[in-house]
Amino acid sequence: MSFEVAKKAIDYILDNENDSNFATESVIWDFIGGEPFLEIDLIEQITNYIKSELYRRNHHWFNSYRLNFTTNGINYDNPKVQQYIKDNYTHIGITITIDGTKRKHDLNRVYKNSSRGSYDDVVKNIPLYLSQFPGASTKVTISSEDIPYIKESVLHLFSLGINEVNINCVFEDVWKDGDELLFENQLIELADEIIDNKLYEGNVCSFYNENIGKPLSTTTSDQNWCGAGMMLSIDAQGNFYPCTRFAGYSLRNKKPIIIGNIRDGINNNLLRPFLSLTRSSQSTDECINCDYAYGCAWCQGENYDAADTPTIYQRATAICKMHKARVRANNYYWNKLYRKLELEGAEKPAEKSFDINC
Amino acid sequence: MLKYLVIQLADDAASYCHYENVSKGVQFISVENLKTAIRFGMVENLNIQFIYPKRALPDGYAEIIETIDHTKIIPCAAPNSKSADIVVCNSIEEIEGYNFDKEQIVILRIYRSEVNELPRIYDLLKGKCARLNVVLRDVEKFSEGDFEDYKSLLAQLGNKVTTSLIEGGNAQLNLLTDRLVLNTMNNCNAGDEVVAIMPNGKFYPCAGFYYDNPNEDFGDLMRGVQIKKRQLFKLSYAPICRHCDAYHCRRCAWLNRKTTLEVNTPSHEQCVVAHLERNESGRILSSIREACEYEPETTIPEIDYLDPFEKRKEW
Repeated sequence: MSFEVAKKAIDYILDNENDSNFATESVIWDFIGGEPFLEIDLIEQITNYIKSELYRRNHHWFNSYRLNFTTNGINYDNPKVQQYIKDNYTHIGITITIDGTKRKHDLNRVYKNSSRGSYDDVVKNIPLYLSQFPGASTKVTISSEDIPYIKESVLHLFSLGINEVNINCVFEDVWKDGDELLFENQLIELADEIIDNKLYEGNVCSFYNENIGKPLSTTTSDQNWCGAGMMLSIDAQGNFYPCTRFAGYSLRNKKPIIIGNIRDGINNNLLRPFLSLTRSSQSTDECINCDYAYGCAWCQGENYDAADTPTIYQRATAICKMHKARVRANNYYWNKLYRKLELEGAEKPAEKSFDINC
Repeated sequence: MLKYLVIQLADDAASYCHYENVSKGVQFISVENLKTAIRFGMVENLNIQFIYPKRALPDGYAEIIETIDHTKIIPCAAPNSKSADIVVCNSIEEIEGYNFDKEQIVILRIYRSEVNELPRIYDLLKGKCARLNVVLRDVEKFSEGDFEDYKSLLAQLGNKVTTSLIEGGNAQLNLLTDRLVLNTMNNCNAGDEVVAIMPNGKFYPCAGFYYDNPNEDFGDLMRGVQIKKRQLFKLSYAPICRHCDAYHCRRCAWLNRKTTLEVNTPSHEQCVVAHLERNESGRILSSIREACEYEPETTIPEIDYLDPFEKRKEW
């Protein structure tokens, strides 16, 4: 993206302060790549422009904004990155995506034109990262090949001092026969380790959530899961998307859904389907009436990409068996934990509820 | 459940709805496909509507058509338009120059720049036809200023309709009188209750989908109707419409897809236009009930929005 495109996008957003699409108390400016810290000079230029414009316009987002980054962590100790963090510290949020143990991480994260994994270059930056952002979390994504490494990876991340591990299965149809059993076993073994070693004190793994796996009523719980349509996404050419998953480079089978651009603005009619989505209007009866519905997530982009017709109103259900396996392991976790605490006469730990984010 | 089968007799058959017939083709449906389509309608117990072109049909077609009870939709410029159950006019000039039968239903397709003519046309047709259906050909292009103009226009029309109904008349005007008798949605329902068979022998939700892309068919006369994601054509899967009480709205799946890319989601412009009509119907209903007894137990409550989408957080 050129600075000119970024500037026009920012101008469009700030010019339309009173538009319902931007009538929020606060804003998150989310820099995603590829790898955002490869472009730290551009990001600094964009950030300075945002700050100066918010001030110049006396915009209500002034001092009510976040700068978010999801990074692979390799350049985290780069002096320019460090200076940027220092300059924007009170507004910044950074997630380093370290996937777990070296063999798990290096399964998917290798250097271009090389088989060398990036684990060693990332893990060396974790102490610096945690010293600057104590309590930072990481996000782990699980595909079929990753299943055997789930337990060791979560435990490894805990041991690195990352106490919050947000983890979810990919929504794409990658799952093989029997994956659900391997997955369930991994989560049960992980549950044993967490509970037997009291790792639940001070650590959280988002796989375990006491609320998931229950039926949902369409009258009281009919909201959409995904936030597509509520997070304007802008590509390098200045096109707008309801989420980056609807850009051409993210789609396998379907045409991109472009809802506007920096010159013409947003076509609100193209946003209406996204903002009108409900659970019931995109689900089959099987999903609506599922006994395990609570916590079963979806990605609107994958729904669209996998749908029989070009619609966002068809839930992709490849994740179904994995969700049910998670629910079974989750039930095991809470039953075992509560029984243990009961026998020990201890109090129930304060629950921290996590949902899957895409 | 399918209830209606629309049989388009030729590629250049009249558009009687929002879509434009953009086909350059002149193909008639084959005799074999015509017979098979009629048989399909019979065995599926469907109401059949034939859509005619301006041109005369080839020899033998009329006899085949008469083998089944049906509705004829014919452009007013066609040589056989006097036999139409529904006559289609594509301009003010066409409607002005035509002598309708009192039993005929008239479809008038006009642009938003022409709506100011409607009060005059309403007077012109009063007592001369069974019903006037107005189709706005460019509803998706209405601006905020157009909405204001349309509201004023509907008020003028509403006064005429109110007077007529109080005097015991029965002049039906889809924009304003349909809602007076409706307590549930009464939409086009293409893709759910209605399916069209086109001259190529393939099924589509309506002709508009065929003209957009003939390769996106919903089956053919050999395979039968195969509607993909059929639930999305149903009201229960339309997140905005299922909360709406502009019951007379066409809820046009083709226009929905054109403007929002989804067949189940209407554009802002469609919703506002339908609600301006709905609100004027409410005013007519109140006036009639003040003046005389009005039997239908219709209710049209006052509301503070013109687009139900704005109320989505309350659903």
